[in-house]
Amino acid sequence: MKGSSRLRRLLPYLAFTALALTLVACTGETTQYPNSTFEPKTELGRAIDDLWDILLLLGTIVFVLVELALAFVVWKYRNNKEAKHTHGNTKLEILWTMIPAVILVFIAVPTVRTIFETQAPAPGDALKVDVIGHQWWWEFRYPEYGVTTANELYLPVGRTVSFSLTTKDVIHSFWIPQMGAKRDLIANRTNYIWFTPDTAIAPSVWNGFCTEYCGTSHAFMRFRVFTVTPEQFESWVAGQKATAAFNAGPAAPAPSAPDSQPPAASPLDTNPPAQPIGPPTGTGTAQLAGGVAPGYFFPHESMPEYAVPQRPLPANISFTRGLTGDPARGQTAFMLGGCIGCHTVRGNPMAAGTIGPDLTHFATRHTLAGGTYPNTTDYLARWIKNARVMKPGSIMPTLGKGEYDPVLKRTAPVSLDDQQIADIVAYLQQLR
Amino acid sequence: MTTAAITPHVTDYKTAGAYTGQKGIWSWLTTVDHKRIGKLYLFTALFFFMVGGLEAVVIRAQLGGPNRSLVSAEFYNQLFTMHGTTMVFLAIMPLSAAFFNFLIPLQIGARDVAFPRLNAFSYWVYLFGGIFITVPIFFALAPNGGWFGYTPLTTKAYSPGINIDFWVIGLLILGVSSLAAAFNFLTTIINLRAPGMTLMRMPMFTWMSFVVQFLLVLAFPVITIALVFLLFDRFFGTNFYTVTAGGDPLLWQHLFWIFGHPEVYILVLPAFGLVSELLPTYSQKPLFGYAVVVYSGILIGFLGFGVWAHHMFAVGMGPVADTVFSLTTMLIAIPTGVKIFNWIATVAQGKLKFTTAMLFALGLISLFTIGGISGIMHSSPPANLQQTDTYFIVAHFHYVLFGGSIMGIFGGIYHYFPKMFGRLMHEGLGKIHFWLTFIAMNLTFFPMHYAGLLGMPRRIYTYDANQGWDLFNAISTGGAYLLGVAIIVFIWNFLSSMKRGAIAGPNPWNAPTLEWSIPSPPPEYNFAQTPEVHSRYPMWDQRASDVDHPKVNLTEGKSPEQMGIIMPYNTIKPLVVALGLVVMFSGLIASRDPATGGSKPVLWVMFAGAAVMIGALYSWLLSPLEPEHHAH
Repeated sequence: MKGSSRLRRLLPYLAFTALALTLVACTGETTQYPNSTFEPKTELGRAIDDLWDILLLLGTIVFVLVELALAFVVWKYRNNKEAKHTHGNTKLEILWTMIPAVILVFIAVPTVRTIFETQAPAPGDALKVDVIGHQWWWEFRYPEYGVTTANELYLPVGRTVSFSLTTKDVIHSFWIPQMGAKRDLIANRTNYIWFTPDTAIAPSVWNGFCTEYCGTSHAFMRFRVFTVTPEQFESWVAGQKATAAFNAGPAAPAPSAPDSQPPAASPLDTNPPAQPIGPPTGTGTAQLAGGVAPGYFFPHESMPEYAVPQRPLPANISFTRGLTGDPARGQTAFMLGGCIGCHTVRGNPMAAGTIGPDLTHFATRHTLAGGTYPNTTDYLARWIKNARVMKPGSIMPTLGKGEYDPVLKRTAPVSLDDQQIADIVAYLQQLR
Repeated sequence: MTTAAITPHVTDYKTAGAYTGQKGIWSWLTTVDHKRIGKLYLFTALFFFMVGGLEAVVIRAQLGGPNRSLVSAEFYNQLFTMHGTTMVFLAIMPLSAAFFNFLIPLQIGARDVAFPRLNAFSYWVYLFGGIFITVPIFFALAPNGGWFGYTPLTTKAYSPGINIDFWVIGLLILGVSSLAAAFNFLTTIINLRAPGMTLMRMPMFTWMSFVVQFLLVLAFPVITIALVFLLFDRFFGTNFYTVTAGGDPLLWQHLFWIFGHPEVYILVLPAFGLVSELLPTYSQKPLFGYAVVVYSGILIGFLGFGVWAHHMFAVGMGPVADTVFSLTTMLIAIPTGVKIFNWIATVAQGKLKFTTAMLFALGLISLFTIGGISGIMHSSPPANLQQTDTYFIVAHFHYVLFGGSIMGIFGGIYHYFPKMFGRLMHEGLGKIHFWLTFIAMNLTFFPMHYAGLLGMPRRIYTYDANQGWDLFNAISTGGAYLLGVAIIVFIWNFLSSMKRGAIAGPNPWNAPTLEWSIPSPPPEYNFAQTPEVHSRYPMWDQRASDVDHPKVNLTEGKSPEQMGIIMPYNTIKPLVVALGLVVMFSGLIASRDPATGGSKPVLWVMFAGAAVMIGALYSWLLSPLEPEHHAH
């Protein structure tokens, strides 16, 4: 088994390159195909990949034999002078009825075994994660911990995770190619899927997708999966359980470490802080067991290229350059501007909306708008200004003053000027 | 047994013009001749094929590179919905119907189909329904829920606009056409076969068409029910699919795929039938294992009703259902494989002639094999869960529908063009068309296997850079452009050959079946004298003197009256009934609610349409089909 496992891992590449020699140069490099189904990182993925290897091997053999047989008869009889009038041959018919039947047995037996293996109940001590689909973003809840996130999933390696899948609206489908298998999210029912991320892959990031057509912005319903060590996971959970770091009332000045907040003080072209930050307010400086400080999140600067959205800034949303946002004013605008109708910021009793993503630890996130854009100042400001141009069909209204709302087909009724948006950006970038 | 040489009987015919009836637009609007209706189907379906192809080219242009914005997300969703809907319902099915119409009566030795006026009605409903469902894309109002129209996305709550209404109503209209035609051909095949043509002497195309008509009759009521539920939900506030009222979104999926999977065989079996005519002709030997090919076709059709849930492995049906549907799906591979082996055995030991039609037939075998193998790959549910809703599936079904259906239909067009128009298509251009198509088809669709297994989901209007998909998409897009060039070559060949092609004669390919015993194009009465059939291959088996005997079927240039043959009257009534039907349905969306952008039924339009339909229908039923027979 061990000796053949390397061969089996190579098989997909061997067979595929054999079929398309022109692509030889492109295969082999792992990072070049970040969403490959050939390099599973879970036992579920490996079970499927083993089955795939059988299918690919038998499929390739059948393909080669059939095409060779066809090519052979065409070549052999290309200049045949006289047709031989045979009407059939019963023995041959029986033979080539049996051949596919026998091949199918070799596919069917491991198939059925894998079906029952992979759909067995999850181990009882599995980490439970509720996945809730929305048009067009992902809500992830960790019921054990009371943690809610959006579009970013943290999983401790080596521990089985069991997902309960439901949807708030239409059918979506949950898929992380490298973890194996997808499962639909369907209203009025709960679906399940479980797997165990390999211990070797912490910390790293994987792409997830919605794979069931779910309306206008189906293409923009992506998510990121961070597989982290159990310690990092504990730290992350502790950080996420805490209420929002920025907790000032409208009158209070910005609290912790204002100097380390470049977005609040610099022109709108910088990225949010890249370092994992210290303890948020509310949890104090208490250390977790194992000496890990709470508040871990995947370092922004460690994000691989494939996990950072490359979609360019939309050209048709302008934003005044050089504005400096004030987080305290931003919080006021956040509450008066209607944001709290849809968004929760725990620690702010006014902000308890549940239509949009929970923003309590927004600044720890790496992407915006269902994994469509990087979570940087430039993108965030334009997102607030005109979400519906940034992401077609978005429920998030167009908020910028004088902006055209492509859904309402008129100028936005709510209007924030660029300064107010810069303030909100500054406020959001303190939520970690 | 010896085989006659393949030499066109060109000298027998000075022109392509056997007597084919009237001329002028009015004669086309009122025709009940199955051959003319077949041609109408052919022209209309080729037009819609190009519309669907144009949609595909725009789709590929948008996906040629990451983060492109050639079209908006909204319009892209309309494009892929209409590409699928157009190709399935407006192109491939009617292209098959063109052959059903033109060929079945000729192959079984009949004067026409059983119900000539119903046949005309089927065509006009198809034409008007096709226009109805196609026009909205020019106003960016086209259906946008996918060709599969999954609820609850397509319910009013999530798609309040008029787009989905066009789709629901359009498909209901087209269903009327398909069902009417299917009953017509079933009756025709069962009742109108020439003396001596037992079921097991029927040409293979007619056999596969026979199976397809059963599939149509059994599958279309299911989609009709599903669509009527959706229509009632959208217009009359019922709750079949309303999630908040406890509706099960999977009800739609089950109904849709109980229709949808047999639909795949509805699309591909006619092409299998055509290939089973082409290969024996160009190998100059009988089809290998005729009976087995018949039984495998029946078996494919039968098993096709027991596999629908393999489209739904990701919905979480549980391990038992997954196992059952997986195994039934695998079973279909056996009769399909048998067909392929028999085709190859037909070619073996043959006297091969590599015409364009033969190349397309061989192309079908080689390409459909790839689609069949990838089909087995996702019949295994665990593997399926890594493949479903990715580009791997897009690759798979294009190898089935392009590599299978379209290759077979192209082969059929090159083969039967001389019978339809009396002239041969240009072989040189034909071969350019074939090789361009074959290469471009693989360039377009093969890389999609990679894109899918490397994680690219379907139905996304754009994708991000750095995902490892750029190269595969760029190749696919290049291939799609090349396919466009191939189609232009084909259309040029088709149109110019109609005017200037070499005169064909009755049997340019030395083909064995009855349709080749009569002039090309056939006279409107088809057979001057009802043929008597003694074997599966009458043209090969009968004595040479019979072929040339004027009493048999080579009577040229005479009108039916001169021949003493009674023909049905031309009539405009089927067209009027079809028009009334479509107007009646259009009433549902004749007005738009400015508040929601949704549709608002206008009762008087519906009543007016219904009145026209019913009035014309009564008038049709009360008028005789043909002049009274007088005893000889």
